[in-house]
Amino acid sequence: MSSAPKKRGSRIEPFRHRVETDPNFFDKSWRKLHDAIREIYNHNASGLSFEELYRTAYNMVLHKHGPKLYEHLTANLKEHLEEMRTSIEAAQGGLFLEELQRKWDEHNKALQMIRDILMYMDRTYILTNKKTPVFDLGLELWRDTIVRSSMIQGRLLDTLLELIHRERMGEVINRSLMRSTTKMLMDLGSSVYQEDFERPFLEVSASFYSGESQQFIECCACGEYLKQAERRLNEESERVTQYMDMKTGEKITAVVVKEMLANHMQRLILMENSGLVNMLVEDRYEDLTRMYSLFHHVAEGHSTIRSVMASHIKETGKSLVTDPERLKDPVDFVQRLLNEKDKYDNIINVSFSNDKSFLNALNSSFENFINLNNRSPEFISLFVDDKLRKGVKEASEEDLETILDKVMMLFRYLQEKDLFEKYYKQHLAKRLLSGKAASDDSERSMLVKLKTECGYQFTSKLEGMFTDLKTSHDTTQNFYAASSSDATDAPTISVQILTTGSWPTQPCSTCNLPPEILAVSEKFRAFYLGTHNGRRLTWQTNMGTADIKATFGNGSKHELNVSTYQMCVLMLFNSADALTYREIEQATAIPAADLKRCLQSLALVKGKQVLRKEPMSRDISDDDSFCVNDKFTSKLFKVKIGTVVAQKETDPEKLETRQRVEEDRKPQIEAAIVRIMKSRRVLDHNSIMTEVTKQLQPRFLPNPVVIKKRIESLIEREFLERDKTDRKLYRYLA
Amino acid sequence: MGMAAKTGRGRVRLNVGGRVFETTADTLASAGRDTMLGAMLDASWNAGGHDDAVDGVAEYFIDRDPACFAVLLDLLRTGTLHLPPGLPEPTLCREALYYGLLDRVRAARAGEFDGDRLRLAASVPGRAPGDGTAVRAAPDGGCCVAHGGAVRVYNWLLEERRPVYLDHAPVNDAAYLDAATLLVAARERPGNRRSDGGGVGGGVAAFSALTGDLRHRFRVAHGRQPRSFTAGALELDASSNRVFASCKGRLNEYGVGVWDCATGEQADFFYEPPGCALGDADKLQWLDNTNTLMVATMFPRTDASFLTLLDFRDDKSVVWSWTDAGTPASLEEKRAVHAVVLEDGRSVCVVNQYDDLGFLDLRKNAGAVRWSSRSKLMMASAGKNKKAAAAARGYEETCYPKLAAHGGQLFASTNDTISVFSGPDHVLTSTLRGSGGGAICDFSIGGDRLFVLHNEENVFDVWETPPPAII
Repeated sequence: MSSAPKKRGSRIEPFRHRVETDPNFFDKSWRKLHDAIREIYNHNASGLSFEELYRTAYNMVLHKHGPKLYEHLTANLKEHLEEMRTSIEAAQGGLFLEELQRKWDEHNKALQMIRDILMYMDRTYILTNKKTPVFDLGLELWRDTIVRSSMIQGRLLDTLLELIHRERMGEVINRSLMRSTTKMLMDLGSSVYQEDFERPFLEVSASFYSGESQQFIECCACGEYLKQAERRLNEESERVTQYMDMKTGEKITAVVVKEMLANHMQRLILMENSGLVNMLVEDRYEDLTRMYSLFHHVAEGHSTIRSVMASHIKETGKSLVTDPERLKDPVDFVQRLLNEKDKYDNIINVSFSNDKSFLNALNSSFENFINLNNRSPEFISLFVDDKLRKGVKEASEEDLETILDKVMMLFRYLQEKDLFEKYYKQHLAKRLLSGKAASDDSERSMLVKLKTECGYQFTSKLEGMFTDLKTSHDTTQNFYAASSSDATDAPTISVQILTTGSWPTQPCSTCNLPPEILAVSEKFRAFYLGTHNGRRLTWQTNMGTADIKATFGNGSKHELNVSTYQMCVLMLFNSADALTYREIEQATAIPAADLKRCLQSLALVKGKQVLRKEPMSRDISDDDSFCVNDKFTSKLFKVKIGTVVAQKETDPEKLETRQRVEEDRKPQIEAAIVRIMKSRRVLDHNSIMTEVTKQLQPRFLPNPVVIKKRIESLIEREFLERDKTDRKLYRYLA
Repeated sequence: MGMAAKTGRGRVRLNVGGRVFETTADTLASAGRDTMLGAMLDASWNAGGHDDAVDGVAEYFIDRDPACFAVLLDLLRTGTLHLPPGLPEPTLCREALYYGLLDRVRAARAGEFDGDRLRLAASVPGRAPGDGTAVRAAPDGGCCVAHGGAVRVYNWLLEERRPVYLDHAPVNDAAYLDAATLLVAARERPGNRRSDGGGVGGGVAAFSALTGDLRHRFRVAHGRQPRSFTAGALELDASSNRVFASCKGRLNEYGVGVWDCATGEQADFFYEPPGCALGDADKLQWLDNTNTLMVATMFPRTDASFLTLLDFRDDKSVVWSWTDAGTPASLEEKRAVHAVVLEDGRSVCVVNQYDDLGFLDLRKNAGAVRWSSRSKLMMASAGKNKKAAAAARGYEETCYPKLAAHGGQLFASTNDTISVFSGPDHVLTSTLRGSGGGAICDFSIGGDRLFVLHNEENVFDVWETPPPAII
């Protein structure tokens, strides 16, 4: 056992703090990567081992060489890019973009592989230290070294803008090259695309379109100009889809819209002989559609079109309703209004995509001009009268419905709906009593329309008229049932019992009825008053009709359909051959004006001359004599002698109706005031005015002066009083 | 893929550290193009044909450990992770990081978070006993624990990173801006005052969660004059990228500070209106659906509890508030000690010192707390726990209950237990009791994990949902 050598051997080794790594480890490893990157850029990567390179980079990062590796990589990539830049700069003319593109593709491919090698660094060192990842670093270097280098930046932009300009001028360019170039800019980040391409592109486009629009507007009509603008807009958005970022679409559209449309809006819309008014007049749907859709992009665009259209409608409408020529034929007058309405409904429907705001403008324009003529309510009622009289004879019931619906549109525009009601009542009465109402269904359908439009109150009296006719029919039947045994020889009468108030009041002008008729009517009176207590019956002889059988001197027999007045006159000739006007007037006691009209229609209407007048003049004087026309012939057995048809009122009549309407309005205004005051108790003058106007608007537009008068009248009658301290306040007195 | 076309059958032979594996190109490609294996098989790296091809099957050599590779290849093939005994998890993770498969490993380790299926995954002992203030989950599954003047940071493998200090000032709260950035709110220390008015300690600062380096200090200026302050609770609004913190300045500048995360500059300051204790707030919660910030200042930090909703738009205003100040002060009185706005943004859940849950409607002002008896915590063993709670209160600083809402479930801590409530009526569905580190002083949910910080010795427990069963 030898201990000494052992002791010597147990020498304590100096403690080694750390394992020394190869001092050249980084340089050796980097050399490997450096060479590999060179091979990659030279398209010679097939000999490289990915696993080896990845492991090398991994080890470098693992041994804390991340920062140094990143630094070396950055410098190395820059060197390669500078080489590329030289070759891009050397490319001549049209080859410039192609060379740029080729190098970009190469760089992208290389960058992908370099990133693969350095993936571990991306995941660890770069993430922890918030550095730019390898791929993005490559893009940033490309941007700074190439795209934004002094020799390339300007040249690239000029080339792109030049190509776009050439395309705008009609040349064909290499779109796929454009696409890949702009895509490169987008890949470098949206800010690069925007700053290095989009912004200058928009500026150049603005000046291009500002020039072009100036040129067009000097020589083109509005429609033609809009066609050009539309074409340019389509071209630009197509260009964007072909080779730009989608977001540029909105911006370039805004530029074109501003330069070509917004800047010239007033001039285009108001252009003489081809602007909006012209398109409206000529119903140029296509141009109108284009104008509508193009100016959709412009602020105030649609509102400008709308206001020009509205003022045009008002102007033409005003000249239509105030033209004295037009006042002669009410039916034509209303038909023209309807045509005008149809025209604009069509335009708005077809060209303005049924835009609500345009419809509103149309409505307010119509409302504006229709009420310029205070005879509009009368004319519209006359138009309806005309349609309902002719009724089914001319048009099918469906067509009639559509016409009535359209009339209701006009009715809605009326401010004085109560005036319309007045006329409608008169016309309806005449239609019903003369049996000229063509279709009961259509009459009722019109009533329903009015009812839905204005409420129950508006039509209650009109409905009362229908009820009266129905009960009258029953009463007449009952009358004959009760007196069937009596003289069968007496003339048959059919009595219409009209409730006072429901029907238009007429000055009651009685006449002397022929004795035969008088007897029957007195019998009826007895019958009626016998069944209905406490009623009063007055004969309205001016409203009746009669069928009389006549045998003329030449032997011809006819049945004549005449008015009650005419009947009275004709019956006189049963006992006389010839009578003078004065004699007739004395015998019948018909008012002079009516009698003259009645004689004219018997003696002067061609083909229906039942009487002969001596002398044969148009005017009737007191001494003119009349006799039965023995030579009367007619192809028809039944001959209808014209009665005075409903027609527009004469001036004095008009004045009278107006006065009646004004009179009727007074209680309505008072009722409204009382209703309002009852709920509010105290109110100032202006508020009453607005509230009353609001309440009555559906029927008519009350005149402020009239309202004031009504208030005063109510104060007099102690419904209201003025406040003692504030004279502007009114109080309701319960 | 060029490679696959050449071999015809798409087979690949890998020699990993001497052991040969055979698989298909598709299996490897399923890892993704941005992984080592995906790149290795990509056409750009195989352009020149493969010299090592034998029988038409491409062969690659990888200089790594074969045992780990076997596990990872199995993961690519099956989507599940099976760790054989004797293979430490950190080793596997190191290899996964090499191949770029770490995310896959993480995803395969645990299932989607479900409060009713949690399993205790780990218990990590802390360092300084008894003074833990907060635990915060990181979005990537890591966490941090604030105690005393430090924040200890753990990655998702629960390995400790470098701790974070803000001048060693006492930390009130911490929050993850993202997985790599940690915000810390700290108390200003009295006396430590500079001539320029800016104190040294305290305030809000951003740190790298990976390295512990200070990135940015968020400053508060009053009347253009920068002032030092004590920061309380922190909250983030991800949609507008803003940070909120309750602040107490030296000169009574109390309120809620707002900073823009992108610039790091102060964006706004909501000065405390009378009757709302904003500067002392325990908890801030950003409500996305109403664009408001819930500020909770709770008993016992203040004498009464205050809940406030702040609207920071145009004219800053208080849109809703509630307080229990002024209620009779009896000993048995129920005081709300923590609050959380439920995920529908319509009501606040509060909890009192007796572990009752209560609810407040955010759509009505001046409402009262609706205490819920049905959701009473720990019903099953009430007697035993009351005793334990009383004992706990007797000799040490009390850990008041806390609340959190996540994935439609409500979580409440009481003593050493977390209760999980589910459904619209908040029915108790699970109770979690961990490693026995004493009462729970804070918990946090994030990155598919629940972190629970216990009072004694700063043990924190990590709960995970196991992956769904295969069969």
